[in-house]
Amino acid sequence: MSDTPQSETKLALEGVTSGYGPVAIIKALSLSVRKGEIFALMGKNGMGKTTLLKTILGLVPARSGDIRLDGRSIVGAAPKVLIQSGVGYAPQEQPLFTDLSIRDNLRLAVRSDRELEAALEHVFVHFPFLRDRLTQKAGTLSGGEQKMLILSRALMLKPDLLLIDEISEGLQPTVIARIATALRAERNDRGTTILLVEQNLNFALDVADRWAVLKLGEIDDSGTAELGSRDRILDHLKI
Amino acid sequence: MTLLLDIVTTAAILFIVSAGLLAIFGVLEIVNFAHGAWLTVGAYCAVVTGGLGLNPWLALPLAFVAGAVLGGVTERLIVRPLYARPLDAILATWGLGIVIGQLITLWFGRDVQFTENLLSGTIHVLGISYSLYRIFALAAALVIGLGFAFLLEGTRLGLSARAIIMNEPLARALGLDTTRIRLFTFMIGTGLTALAGVLLTPLTSVDPTMGVSWLIGSFMLVMVAGSSFGALAIACLVFGGAQVLVSTFISPILGGITVAVLSALVLRISSKGFARA
Amino acid sequence: MPDTLAASLPRNAAVRRRVLLLGLLALVALALVIFGPLVLSRFSINVLTRSMIYAILAITVDLLWGFTGILTFGQAAFFGVGAYATAMLLTHIGSSPSLMALALLLAILVPIVLGVIVGWLSFYYGSTPIYATVISLVFPIVVTQLIYSGGTLTGSSSGMVGYFGLPFGLEGFFRLSGISLVIVALGALIFVRSDSGRILTAIRDNETRCAYLGLNTQRIKILLTAVLAGVAGLAGFLYANASGVVAPENTSFVFGTELVVWTALGGRGTILGPVLGTIGIDYLSASLSGELPFLWQLVVGALFVVMIIFLPNGLAALVTRLTRRGRGEVVAGAGPELVPQPPRSHAAPSDAPLLSIDKLEKSYGSQKVLTDITLDVAPGELVSLVGPNGAGKTTMMRCLTDGKESSGGVVRIAGKSIAGMVPNQIVALGVGRKFQVASVFESLTVAECLRMSRAALEAPSIVTASDRLSLPPAAIEILQLTGLDKLLTAEVSLLSHGQKQSLELAMVVALEPRMILLDEPTAGLTKAERTTIGTILKKLTNELGFAAILVEHDLDFVRDISSRIVVLHQGRLVLDGSVEEVVNSDIVKTIYSGGDHV
Repeated sequence: MSDTPQSETKLALEGVTSGYGPVAIIKALSLSVRKGEIFALMGKNGMGKTTLLKTILGLVPARSGDIRLDGRSIVGAAPKVLIQSGVGYAPQEQPLFTDLSIRDNLRLAVRSDRELEAALEHVFVHFPFLRDRLTQKAGTLSGGEQKMLILSRALMLKPDLLLIDEISEGLQPTVIARIATALRAERNDRGTTILLVEQNLNFALDVADRWAVLKLGEIDDSGTAELGSRDRILDHLKI
Repeated sequence: MTLLLDIVTTAAILFIVSAGLLAIFGVLEIVNFAHGAWLTVGAYCAVVTGGLGLNPWLALPLAFVAGAVLGGVTERLIVRPLYARPLDAILATWGLGIVIGQLITLWFGRDVQFTENLLSGTIHVLGISYSLYRIFALAAALVIGLGFAFLLEGTRLGLSARAIIMNEPLARALGLDTTRIRLFTFMIGTGLTALAGVLLTPLTSVDPTMGVSWLIGSFMLVMVAGSSFGALAIACLVFGGAQVLVSTFISPILGGITVAVLSALVLRISSKGFARA
Repeated sequence: MPDTLAASLPRNAAVRRRVLLLGLLALVALALVIFGPLVLSRFSINVLTRSMIYAILAITVDLLWGFTGILTFGQAAFFGVGAYATAMLLTHIGSSPSLMALALLLAILVPIVLGVIVGWLSFYYGSTPIYATVISLVFPIVVTQLIYSGGTLTGSSSGMVGYFGLPFGLEGFFRLSGISLVIVALGALIFVRSDSGRILTAIRDNETRCAYLGLNTQRIKILLTAVLAGVAGLAGFLYANASGVVAPENTSFVFGTELVVWTALGGRGTILGPVLGTIGIDYLSASLSGELPFLWQLVVGALFVVMIIFLPNGLAALVTRLTRRGRGEVVAGAGPELVPQPPRSHAAPSDAPLLSIDKLEKSYGSQKVLTDITLDVAPGELVSLVGPNGAGKTTMMRCLTDGKESSGGVVRIAGKSIAGMVPNQIVALGVGRKFQVASVFESLTVAECLRMSRAALEAPSIVTASDRLSLPPAAIEILQLTGLDKLLTAEVSLLSHGQKQSLELAMVVALEPRMILLDEPTAGLTKAERTTIGTILKKLTNELGFAAILVEHDLDFVRDISSRIVVLHQGRLVLDGSVEEVVNSDIVKTIYSGGDHV
């Protein structure tokens, strides 16, 4: 990102390389996200978006480069430590314990049951439907409700940085709109920084301030979210 | 009537003996082949308690603590490096079983030891007179079963353990300390196994190799039960029942292999065993 | 080892040298066992006779566990059955020379029959490694209990003693056991380095890949179990004669675990390691048992635990690792000679399309992953399958190569429905599958991997390692284009990611399939490697008439090489057309900009 920093940097990646086994999925990637910003990372399947989020969270080890959160290097930190220091994560693949109740799914996000009630109240503000369905198994929710539950769980600890992986995948426009509202509210009310991984161009441009396109583990293109960028991004995304 | 009681109490004893192995296999997906050694350790805790002239019931907490501490050390040093190599974990824990067995032999000798009975005499149940201790074993199995149910369903540790069983990558991504949960689970499993060893003392002779004869039966039951205590209870009832029937009506020696053979057949037909029930 | 010597020596000389080495080793061993009794004490002769018989068992454990990856505790039971068959016959019927011959026959045949049964129970499509281990535990327990309940027939718990065995003295049995051990060890050493023997290692490394090379791994494992049960039975025959007593302990799983311990300490995956480990430990055990019996067991147990954790391949692996260090691992220019193979003629092409999918469905529980997929593919077509994550592309590939996967509809290959077929049967119909993550055999060499592709077509030798490697010209061309032809003797684990991908493609082409399925073949490759793979694929389809189905995300790559593109979205086929049609269609734009149902 060559933009002059208008405000403080929340998350900075410098020359990060990571991957599985012998394969480098992310290649010397640099990226910075400002405090209070919603940043959309676009790109097709297999281009390394999910791996990037996992690398930030320490689930996939970074082989080289530096990742800084609020200026402090977090390379090598355990996911547990990052989550306790204010990072929320909404994963895409197998994101819920489908055989556990909604309450237990949310309960796993807090460290002790004493924090549970307050945290629940926080997410009910965004998704009130959860309040009456706490004992229901997560697997019995509809696709859209599951996505809202995943987002709620990431919000339980009131994170300063939210990492969200393809939350809009396969959803009806009405549900996407509810999620967009919740994300905007989090950012506006609490100044939460949000890094979105998305394939849904309309949704991403709707909520994000800036965007970048990832291709084969490298940043291919980037810009600020405005109407003109739509076709430019679509060129990168189709097929 | 006696037959019915035999079936139920045999199932209860099998359940007590296998529960610790199941706790470990269910959460860690590791077969603790030193299971027999922990049963032996527990039984020798009863021997020690008796030798010190203490109340025999004190052996229960003593065995649990000894088993858990020993389990903690084992998890850290032997099992943790082998989570990715489950077959090697079987071998390493088997080797540990040899070591523990020999240590016990060096300390206590290889002779059969005698322990004070926890409960003796008979009791009148359902119109017949029956061993009081076997009835007590039934109660103990229920307590252990309900205890596990509470631990799994009612506590945070249990919730975390279930989360790891269901989807370990997600548990890690949510910041659960999977390393610590595995350690605790292993310790609970081994502690419970040592406790089961104390409970076995009135039913079997105590010597350094006593655990091995129980190992295969529990191992097979756990394979069939997967990670479910409910399935383990069913497996114990069905196979324990079959064992009693075969022993009574055909031959006690063949009764000894009933559990193993039936479990193998059930697994051949459905690799999930009773876990789906 | 031919692989490492081949660098400096012509191939033939290397082979000759290896034969010489083995022959020399065998001669020295024979001399030791023949002249040994002259210098050894009675005690040593007695113990070593037993140790050498156990070493034969350790070899069978090693072949199953070390080479093939099947952890077994059951070899003791086959051994015990052989011993009991001998002792029972000699006790209850008598011991004339012809009865002795019968005893030998039974001691081998009965375990083989039991081995087939145990193998059939242990290995079936979808069986897990742990299940085979479970069976290997149950089997000895059953045998032991049957012996206990056999009354006078089996001698019950006191075993059998007092029968008349072979009329050899102490020295005679020492020599007989020793010669038998040398023969079994030599046979095993020759077999594991032969082209057939490498299949065992291939199964251990990657059984799925074996199945997708058309090998019936279940049958191979059953056969191996049966043959090694026979060898264990032979050891039992020797034991029953040499010791003059058989006991239930000889069949127990505890003895089975001891065999595994000795094999592990000596070094699994080597033949000589377990032999030396067994003889060494058993001899030391006997020598030390008087003074510090329990301490010795304790030391062996502790050593075993440490070994499993830190040195899983045993002491022998440590030796190999030390001697290998410093030698160039990637040896260029040597190895077998590549011989072009005239193309195999497939069954006369019928009128039916090569691949025909009719209303294919797949669901997990109530969740539908594929719905109503209908598609035909003709020879020479290169069809790219595209669509967002979760569209069902990989699931569809799986349904085409495993007849047990789909939940509805029909998949036909050259007119034949694949319903219920397992992968190796589908491969036999002419389908090759390349996986997303390169699926090769890490501990084999490049040439050995390629030979595995041919193993289902032409039975490899069980004695020699051939110095010719016949491959279809297309496979050889891939090797030449990617430089792998210069790396034939390199161990696969040393190859780069891209080289492994190319190797897997060459292996699949070497199967001479009519249709190739490829799941993201370019993932993680460099630009140059992509271009090479693209060139190869175009040639295979355009010039050689292969059909190919490709799952791919790289648009430029797809545009470049496809003759047709099929778009999947939410488990449905939404578009099927030429590259132009699909790339410019509105539907695709909608899908990729986040539109919902189309």
